[in-house]
Amino acid sequence: MLAKSSKSPQDRLLNLFDILEDWLLAPNLQKTTELHYQPSPILVNYCTEQAKSLGAENPIVLAEHIVLIAQSAAVQSMEHPNSNSMMHAKKAAEALIQGQTQKAGVLQKLKRVRPISYAIAASLLIMIGVGAMWLPTIIHSQHPQLQMAHSATPANRASEHLSSENKALTAIDASKMYAKYELMRQGTCQFPEALQIPDKHKAIYLENVVGGKLPSDLDDLAIANFYLEKIRCNFTPMLMATSK
Amino acid sequence: MSKLREKILNTASLLFQTQGINSTGVDTIVAEAGTTKMTLYKYFNSKELLILEVLKQGHQDFQTWLNDKLSANSKKPSEKLQKLFDYIEEWITSPDFHGIGFMKASAEFPQEDNPVHQLSTEQSLQFREYIKRLATEANIKDAEGLSLQLSLLFKGAVQAEQMQRGSDAIKYAKKAAKILIDGALAQ
Repeated sequence: MLAKSSKSPQDRLLNLFDILEDWLLAPNLQKTTELHYQPSPILVNYCTEQAKSLGAENPIVLAEHIVLIAQSAAVQSMEHPNSNSMMHAKKAAEALIQGQTQKAGVLQKLKRVRPISYAIAASLLIMIGVGAMWLPTIIHSQHPQLQMAHSATPANRASEHLSSENKALTAIDASKMYAKYELMRQGTCQFPEALQIPDKHKAIYLENVVGGKLPSDLDDLAIANFYLEKIRCNFTPMLMATSK
Repeated sequence: MSKLREKILNTASLLFQTQGINSTGVDTIVAEAGTTKMTLYKYFNSKELLILEVLKQGHQDFQTWLNDKLSANSKKPSEKLQKLFDYIEEWITSPDFHGIGFMKASAEFPQEDNPVHQLSTEQSLQFREYIKRLATEANIKDAEGLSLQLSLLFKGAVQAEQMQRGSDAIKYAKKAAKILIDGALAQ
């Protein structure tokens, strides 16, 4: 599913605004307008890579600025839901990209495809207190790539986690989750067979894990996260990948 | 304004900007200003009131400076809009720049019901309204939208500069602002 996200670097940067807007519109998320002014380093790193691919003059500055604008617009959007702040933030980000890449003329028409950048947007939610239930393996994992291979009984573990309520998504959780998605994006991943999954979870698994669409319902989110942990990936060493 | 009150206000302003508002105690302010707590509380009933006064003064200084610059150096309304980020850049890159008061205060006082947070939000809106007014005078169709785009660019650049001096963020914000303003003027 993560391979599906390989749109242009500009799309990847700008999709963040669409995704964040979806999150903000999601009905079951508890949001506060508390804003952390320091942008998530992992998210900035990701955006920096995209900015480098774009040939930006100063990729780090571009990445930081885009993340800061997104954070600011998210707060604005919560305080004034009808302000279209995400749309305007996206336009501002587009202009920043254009300014750094010296592209004059008509702005590129954006596609409304929202692939796995949903995971990246999760990092943006560092400033939004989302009352969500996240797996302890995400919260405590020191090595996300190793955690992917750990075993457990899906139904039992998912139910167990569902019983804990309203664990707030922290910057660390979001960053680790993001790192895991990024790792997966670089590898060939094996998804658990849908047949092994309890019927009540199948739809969520197929849509939200295999399909790459992050759910807005908090219970579904917990289940999707659980199965995300079950995915195993093989990684091609960087030198081999680039020599192809 | 009494000279002592002004001295306390200026001292507090500098300390808040350089050390942070919450981490600057009243003791430090009075020591730096060469006065006593009793005098400080005579002019400002509480630290919170002092913070609010510092914010008001800082915002007024910034707005007045910007407005004077634009009025003195631009003839047409569209020219004012086009030069806006030139002067914002000048303000941000000056050696005396320590951040924008309402943005720092908003970060230090995130609770929505806090008077400092409320004033910060109000000043942020006032600044956006100011940009909107410039855009309206320049006959921009979507003055509201452009003012939001420009204020987001501004805030992002200020935050980047507050995190690291000489970040160059304002240089690129200025380029982006030009693209947005030229696009809006052409519509």
